[in-house]
Amino acid sequence: MNGLNNKSPSLLKEGGALALSVYKNTYLRFIAFGAVLALLPVLQSAGLMKASTLSYLGNVLIYAVVALGLNLLLGYSGLISLGTAGFMGFGSYLAAIFTENLQLSFWVALLVAVAVPTLFGVAIGFVSLRIEGIYLAIATLCVSEILLKTFEQVEEITGGMQGKKANYPVIFGSKLDRSGTYLLLVIALILTMMLTYNLVNGQMGRAMHAMRGSEVAAQAMGVNLLKYRLISFALATAYAGFAGALYVFFIKYTYPTVWNINLSLYVLAAVVIGGMRSIYGTVVGAFLVWAVPDLVLKNLPVIGKINGLPYIFNGVLIILVIMFFPEGLAGIPTRIKLFIKRIKEKNAAKGGAQSA
Amino acid sequence: MGNELATILQLFVRSLETGSVYALAALGIVIVFRTSFIMHFAQGSMGMFSTFAVTYLLTSYSLPLWASTLAGIGVAIAFGFLVDFFIVRRIKNASHVAKEIITLGLIMIFLGFAPMVFGVDPLQLPRFITSGDLTFGSVAISYNSLLNICTGIVITIVLFYVLQKTKMGLAVRTTASNESTARLMGVPTRTVTMVAWALAGVLGLLSGVMIAPTTTVTTTLMNAVQVNALFACVLGGFQTFYGPVLGAYIMGVANNFLRYYVSSVWGEQILYLLILIFLIIRPNGLIGKKLVKKV
Amino acid sequence: MPDISSAALNQGEALSIDHLSISFGGLKAVDDLSFTVNEKEIFGLIGPNGAGKTTVFNCVTQFYKPNSGSVWFRDQKGEVINLVGRPVHEIIKHGLVRTFQNVEVIKELSLLENVMIGAHTNFKASVFEQAFKLPRARREEKEFRKKAEDVLKFLEIDDRKDMLAGGQPYGVLKKVELARTLISNPSLIILDEPAAGLNDSETGGLADIIRNIRDEYNCTILLVEHDMRLVMGVCDRICAISFGKFLACDSPEGIHQNKLVQEAYLGEEEDEI
Repeated sequence: MNGLNNKSPSLLKEGGALALSVYKNTYLRFIAFGAVLALLPVLQSAGLMKASTLSYLGNVLIYAVVALGLNLLLGYSGLISLGTAGFMGFGSYLAAIFTENLQLSFWVALLVAVAVPTLFGVAIGFVSLRIEGIYLAIATLCVSEILLKTFEQVEEITGGMQGKKANYPVIFGSKLDRSGTYLLLVIALILTMMLTYNLVNGQMGRAMHAMRGSEVAAQAMGVNLLKYRLISFALATAYAGFAGALYVFFIKYTYPTVWNINLSLYVLAAVVIGGMRSIYGTVVGAFLVWAVPDLVLKNLPVIGKINGLPYIFNGVLIILVIMFFPEGLAGIPTRIKLFIKRIKEKNAAKGGAQSA
Repeated sequence: MGNELATILQLFVRSLETGSVYALAALGIVIVFRTSFIMHFAQGSMGMFSTFAVTYLLTSYSLPLWASTLAGIGVAIAFGFLVDFFIVRRIKNASHVAKEIITLGLIMIFLGFAPMVFGVDPLQLPRFITSGDLTFGSVAISYNSLLNICTGIVITIVLFYVLQKTKMGLAVRTTASNESTARLMGVPTRTVTMVAWALAGVLGLLSGVMIAPTTTVTTTLMNAVQVNALFACVLGGFQTFYGPVLGAYIMGVANNFLRYYVSSVWGEQILYLLILIFLIIRPNGLIGKKLVKKV
Repeated sequence: MPDISSAALNQGEALSIDHLSISFGGLKAVDDLSFTVNEKEIFGLIGPNGAGKTTVFNCVTQFYKPNSGSVWFRDQKGEVINLVGRPVHEIIKHGLVRTFQNVEVIKELSLLENVMIGAHTNFKASVFEQAFKLPRARREEKEFRKKAEDVLKFLEIDDRKDMLAGGQPYGVLKKVELARTLISNPSLIILDEPAAGLNDSETGGLADIIRNIRDEYNCTILLVEHDMRLVMGVCDRICAISFGKFLACDSPEGIHQNKLVQEAYLGEEEDEI
């Protein structure tokens, strides 16, 4: 007993030092965040969480991936896409078709689900981005209508309104189960967060910032606007295709109505509310949009039963954030710090005045 | 041969009707765009909401159609004012993207409010003139179609007259060409944007009431109208008020003919692709001119 | 073509504007303007309000496409090229970079990152290499971070390098814009009203900074400026224009005594010249 007691302070110290070094290294922080996400299902087996909650969490992870892509486009480059849902659906159908109909491997399906929508997106981007940024929103709006129609009408391949079934993925010869696939989602999200972090903190990230902040300065510094707009739109599309594939492997089912324009608005809400240009903020935003209405709002007394509540909740939040808190939820820590600092300064000033 | 001609005429009449719906919605979008510099993505949803109001008053309170339409116009104007007062005039200096995100947020709000206020069941809105056709040989035009076509054309003409000849129209045009100069010259730009949003609301409602009898009134009622109206603006160019109207009627004609002669399922989609290709050739639309950006 | 272009610039000349004209809606903003800037020279472009000075700059940097005329420039390989008709984003690659009248910095980035934007065209690593932080991407990031720090140190604002640009004083932001031009090792820098918005002491320091930039970075400087003290004090030669037309091109003293220039400024505030 005694020995243990003597040891514990140093253990604590070491533990603290380890935690600090994890906190200081961005990548370790991502991994630690992933570890926490991966451990959440333990709560379920311990009976602290309903089984359905895991599905919501899985959804949050998937939509966090697609929202990170939209954040590259919207937050960093200042462009709007309304085709997010369409491209995500495209990815989901491709992944389902390549694994189920063509019996190809998970990896091939994943690659196709990312590559084909991206190429499609580049073509659309090339037409619309040459004009004005806003034309991208209009062009993607109509592309998402075209894709939705395709999902509904090409019944031989997509299963029409009935939708299309898929299975949990087979990776390296072993078939994953539900929690295995959840783990796959966690890994996918953490990798996406790391890639996004690298991209936005390098030359390309600065170029995107410049495009959004000052088109003229960006051009004068040698940023080819069309090229970088296309790259950021291609990335957003690639993320959407990737998330679509993840969706179909986790939910095991895809059908047209999921991929309508309202989903694109939800993704936009996640980015704006969570915080434009913030990686963790986007994940929190995805949680707020996909988990909070179902897990919290629905259970509230009186207003929980109101139809359309999630839409109003997100719509109002979007507008409030844009008007009053442009940094979104991600800006809260900085605001709190500033607030504390101001109080301290005030107190210090008071103290100074008193002593004088 | 006579049959073929009759088909074409019939299609053309239908095109005018579709074109009128798009034209009204597109006019709303372009008026908002020119006066408050916002790409109005919520034009359709606001129209959807007030059309819902009309249908709800009609079915739940058995008001006559004309009375509920008038009430719907009131709802549209009220929401136009509210949106302008609480949001638009407070974000005048925000970036373009921020403004557009706001209208996307508005879509969500109206999408949520509609089932909240009017319930989740799809409703049915009858035509203004329930029966009766005007026949020319083998061509039959329903009186209601004629009414829709006339409404579209008359409202467009009246609006252009107001824009060109009245003091308010002059104020709108001055604001559209240069907002800050207009303000300095004493143009009440605040009133102008407020009127623009209310007007857009009414135009959205009218296009909603025109399209509703062909389908059921649900939250997706105006999705296609919104897309087509935006494309009408793109096709005609955002720089003039008549460009989008022209674009809308072209969309109406192209839409109906493509659906009849090429593919009933894919006609609309083919049209979208054609317009995207058209944009490669004329990026600023049919009547658009390129603006030089000041550095 | 090569023989014409080599004749367009003599030895020791950096930039030549040759019969340049541009009009907006029938109004001639620049009208048949020609002047030549020598290498390693600090050259001023002056004129009364609305004379078209900034328009000239925009035509040189291709933000506006001139209706006629040429802009001959000796690029970093020593070849003489016509800038007219080239895409805006390619201009910096030839060694010509500019600042803006209203500072165009990115509020959401730190001062250091803002400066690094200026090195955009010097990066060779692809987007893929950046996403996975492959060696070349890492190396370049480190190299230009160091370079940006050096430039900020040169302009004496390196103590603020990690602060966000949003909220910084105007004088600092002006320096950030300057630093952003320097990191790309340009052969010619165009400064659009560098003293606008600065207080007297900052303006006083600016003359030294401009001279130091010329000497340290071994480049030519072309500037538009309203502050006559600065222009007269710092420029080797000055070109005066009015209503887009050439008035005179001379030493500061020559310009000061020039009758045409005096007339053009008549009605403007007297203490300006």
